[in-house]
Amino acid sequence: MSVVELENVWKIFGQKSAEAMSAIRKDGIGKAEVLERYGAVVGVKDASFQVEEGEIFCLMGLSGSGKSTLVRHINRLIEPTAGTIRIMGEDIGAMKTEELRATRADKIGMVFQNMALLPHRSVRDNIGFALELRGIDGYTRAQKADAALETVSLHGYGDRLPAELSGGMQQRVGLARALAADPEILLMDEPFSALDPLIRRNLQDEFLGLSQNLKKTTVFITHDLDEAIRMGDRIGIMKDGEIVQIGTAEDIVTAPVDDYVADFVAGISRLKLVSAAKIMTDVDAYTAQSGGIDLSSGCPEAAPEDDLDTLVGLSTGSDKPVLIKADGAVVGIVTKDTLLRGLQGGSEA
Amino acid sequence: MSGAEQIEIEDRDVSIGTFVEQAEPYYASVFEKVQRGSLPRWHQNIWALIVPWAWAAARGVWLLFWISLAIDVLALVCLMQVIKFSPLLAEAQLDAAANSTLVARYSTWVTNYGWAATILFVAGRLWMGSSANRWYFSQYSRWRIDHAVPSGVNFKRLVVGLVVVAIIAPLTTYRATQLRLDERACFNQMRAGEAVGQLMPAYGAGDVTALLTSMDADILDMQTRFDALDAIEARTDAQNAERSQLRRDVRDLGRERDQVNDFQSITTADRFDCAFIDDFPTLARLDPPADVTYRRVADEEAIAAGEEGATKVIAQVKDPVEGRKVTVFTYSAESIDIGINKLRAQYAGFFDAMTNVLRQSLIRVEVAFMQTPWPVVAFLFLALSWAFAGRGTTVFVGASLGFLALFELWQIAMQTMALVVVSTAVCVFVGLPIGIWMAKNKWFRWITEPILDVMQTIPSLSYLVPAVAFFGISQPPAVLATVIFAMPPMIKLTALGILQVPESTKEAALAFGASERQLLRKVELPMSIPSIMAGLNQTIMLALSMATISAFIGAEGLGAIVTSALGDANAGKGLLAGVAIALVAMMIDRILKGIRNSFSRI
Repeated sequence: MSVVELENVWKIFGQKSAEAMSAIRKDGIGKAEVLERYGAVVGVKDASFQVEEGEIFCLMGLSGSGKSTLVRHINRLIEPTAGTIRIMGEDIGAMKTEELRATRADKIGMVFQNMALLPHRSVRDNIGFALELRGIDGYTRAQKADAALETVSLHGYGDRLPAELSGGMQQRVGLARALAADPEILLMDEPFSALDPLIRRNLQDEFLGLSQNLKKTTVFITHDLDEAIRMGDRIGIMKDGEIVQIGTAEDIVTAPVDDYVADFVAGISRLKLVSAAKIMTDVDAYTAQSGGIDLSSGCPEAAPEDDLDTLVGLSTGSDKPVLIKADGAVVGIVTKDTLLRGLQGGSEA
Repeated sequence: MSGAEQIEIEDRDVSIGTFVEQAEPYYASVFEKVQRGSLPRWHQNIWALIVPWAWAAARGVWLLFWISLAIDVLALVCLMQVIKFSPLLAEAQLDAAANSTLVARYSTWVTNYGWAATILFVAGRLWMGSSANRWYFSQYSRWRIDHAVPSGVNFKRLVVGLVVVAIIAPLTTYRATQLRLDERACFNQMRAGEAVGQLMPAYGAGDVTALLTSMDADILDMQTRFDALDAIEARTDAQNAERSQLRRDVRDLGRERDQVNDFQSITTADRFDCAFIDDFPTLARLDPPADVTYRRVADEEAIAAGEEGATKVIAQVKDPVEGRKVTVFTYSAESIDIGINKLRAQYAGFFDAMTNVLRQSLIRVEVAFMQTPWPVVAFLFLALSWAFAGRGTTVFVGASLGFLALFELWQIAMQTMALVVVSTAVCVFVGLPIGIWMAKNKWFRWITEPILDVMQTIPSLSYLVPAVAFFGISQPPAVLATVIFAMPPMIKLTALGILQVPESTKEAALAFGASERQLLRKVELPMSIPSIMAGLNQTIMLALSMATISAFIGAEGLGAIVTSALGDANAGKGLLAGVAIALVAMMIDRILKGIRNSFSRI
């Protein structure tokens, strides 16, 4: 069972969203026509994805592509026009007010781009906010808040006001607030976008470390492909409210589904992304081409999942092609030519 | 991310030709010179020199249109003064020796207005002719950014411009040629019209001439009968009575005939003057509303039936004054009076209860302020300012208290404080919930905002009268008047504070499972405290500034001294009491500010 599951979610903004929806269903009209006929804007178009337990799922797209709108459906801050959203198997759209509030407080933590901390409360009271809303007593709250502060390495900052902290520290508080109630799911809405590059990288690393320990199911929103590749186990690319491709970073870089995605990934360094398996020539083809190879002549060896960076390292040390071995058997061969082509982007697989 | 973003640039034609449509070569060269800064000041746009408003209207340079129209009309008005006074001057000069003052005055006017007209006309035209091109160029620059800015030569605009000129210029010019109308002229005109309207059907006359003839006949007839009676030496009592009755009738009818005569002699020009160039003409004259007085009296029937002290409201109708006609304003005002009177009689219990509640709470607070020994009150003030507002404010508060004590205004100032405290408390208890509701409900906000504006801008003296009507002359209506005046900032700033809470913060609270109530209590209200405190501060200051006004209807305290000083023309007394009010206001303001600053975390 997936932890978060979206099925054919549509969101249409405007007075006549219901009519627009049925027109889309019946006549299959496009965005422009919806705007013209019903004065309604399609925010999310038929989005479906599942996030498994402990997985970090990145939603990536330019501003205005509907990723923030989509993520707000998961905790029903925005009601979908059509479609179902299930949180650990439960349909969140069918929940009553009380149930929904309990789910938000206990199961889902959220981190915002602009932190959205309460300026009149201390850092500790900010972190304990979700617990306070659930009616948990002050002592327990303080304990949990301090523990969460420890997790985000802000020990001892509990009595400060948010305004006294730097942007990066404030976002750590935001993260601690999301973690304090120990939710199963984390929704991160461009959490690091407003920070400067150095602090951003720092926080990314720290968050990666944290999530390895905590194993939270995470939906991570970003407009930065590098960040998506660093953070995401899988990436969903959004364009104009639609999810155009879902896959691992390698899938997306090596096999973009359309020109739009291809354009996006064009400038990305493939060194750490593409594995040997994607570019290697199989042994028979290599033999047919260059008349075989002496497998015992001290060629460098690598595994199929090793990245191009490793292959470059091995390849520069010798004149011979690199042997790709899986379970002791040679499954493919990478010559310097294939390696260079692979780096450039022409996939040989 | 190349290619992912698409930039669309609308292809714009920015050529001067498209903009000016006509006379492109001229404007192209002029615009270039304007840009180079080499257009000479004396260069004239011929059309703008000759008919500036027509040129400006056709080209859509509306600001220049209005300015040129204003200058031309002003020049014309000056010229008309010359035309108006010249015949008067000539007339006065016929007997120059006797009219030396008049001659001097008229000739000065004629010369001055003559010069003014000439200078306005010549200089104005030259200025417009030379400015037109520059203004037109700046319009061109705006048009390049936004194509909605008028461009080209448009016949429709020209027509609109000429219609505007036709509405403004002829009437204004005509008015300038006329001497000021007699104040009563238009009123008499209307009265004559009314008289004729009543007499016509009474006499069954078809037109005014016929009416006059039959009236003359009547008068003659009565006069003859009077003369016959008058000729009798020894009249009986009945004859005497008839004689005096006839004399009265002749006199009354004679007056009415004069009115009809007047009506006949009203020229079309007179009617025109009264309708268009003087005051706004009276549109409607109505019969006044029935003069009813509502009174609450003992209900004998109910008392007889066993209800102790039962009362009922009775209406007493007075006979209307014969022939009285009133304007819409008077009609409405009298209707409101009657309505207030009725409400007051009908709901006497409610108003009395409300008066009582206000009076009781005022008395309690007054006791608290006035009967607390003065050293305690003084100490509390000093301690508060020391704890929250620092040394400077404490010195100021000490000095102010010293002033009040030295001038023996202490007790009176405490009375004022009590009034302010009670009014402010009402403002907070009523204003805070209203403010919250306003922030939460768009429709309620839409309705409340104009009401608040009215509450703040309506002159307080004008609602003191109904306040007195409902609650009598004493402290309670003063509190109510103060509340009406001082509450709007409390409401507005509460609403503003809540509305200013960032959407993202509220969203975050909701995302962590906050209910609407929790959102209000834990997020919105705490975050709007600075704004609410500012509202409270404003409310207190306004309440203090109402102290004087409400003294007119019986509020005690410093304001009463000012009011009585006004009545007795005691400048010194009034000034000192005024200073005392200002000091009380500043003390409260500074201390509150201190408290606000030391509690505010935001």
